[in-house]
Amino acid sequence: MDYFEVFGLPRSLSLDGASLQKRFYELSRRYHPDGFARASALERQKAEEASAELNDAYRTLRDPVGRTEYLLKLNGFEIGEQRGSDVPPELLEEAFELNMALEELREGGPGAEAAIEEARVKFTAMLDAIDKELDALAAVYDAASAREGLQQVRGLLNRRRYIGNLVSQTAKPAVA
Amino acid sequence: MAYSEKVLDHYNNPRNVGAFDKTDPNVGTGMVGAPECGDVMKLQVKVNPISGIIEDAKFKTFGCGSAIASSSLATEMLKGKTVDEALQIKNTELVNELALPPVKIHCSVLAEDAIKAAITDYKKKAVSAGVAQAV
Repeated sequence: MDYFEVFGLPRSLSLDGASLQKRFYELSRRYHPDGFARASALERQKAEEASAELNDAYRTLRDPVGRTEYLLKLNGFEIGEQRGSDVPPELLEEAFELNMALEELREGGPGAEAAIEEARVKFTAMLDAIDKELDALAAVYDAASAREGLQQVRGLLNRRRYIGNLVSQTAKPAVA
Repeated sequence: MAYSEKVLDHYNNPRNVGAFDKTDPNVGTGMVGAPECGDVMKLQVKVNPISGIIEDAKFKTFGCGSAIASSSLATEMLKGKTVDEALQIKNTELVNELALPPVKIHCSVLAEDAIKAAITDYKKKAVSAGVAQAV
């Protein structure tokens, strides 16, 4: 059973968080150990397993990025399965230049803090824009379930990793 | 997770960090990345067009310690090899030398990909420049 099936949901990139949570609570009650106090050991074990799977499923599906990666994986577009050659050179170039520029800022001595903060604001804005773009791609995919759509989503998730990395690097205080 | 002594050595004292002019016809540039980790690796070779021997190599990697160590070691191994010998370098050599744990093997694969990309780029340039001996 995949995580979408656990919730009785179709495989889609967009999910309503509130109804997912509601369904999670309903199902959690169903597998609660109290309901199996007088059940056989086998039934208790089954309920425990179902409960563990439900928790994993909820944790994965409630996070938009986690959910997207999971759906990509179900369709054979696993993020970790890519080779360097699958990543477009423009993206590598962009990631390299942004990292390089950030490294130079870090070595900038006095005044570097303000510049790094400026970079953080810029990277955060880029990340927000990517998330908006992802939402738009998700809507398109959910409407038609075209595989090319997933490829686009994966490409954008790749970029999200790089930009997200830069955001978390700038969030930390600069170390010499 | 603890890094091996050798990874730490390359991480703390990376060899051959820097860049060559990528428009130089004797320079081959490979840029590869592992989006999963947010790693990006640039590796360059400078080839003697007459002998086909790699005279110098440079890299710059943004990524984890193992990715930095793998590319640092790769540049060391490249120097003095011919371009065809360079293509024979396998990631397992990097794994063994650096004692990389299984979860970090992909870092060495990335370095192998970077070597191949750099040599391919050099060969492409050499062909278009008509340097037959080095191809």
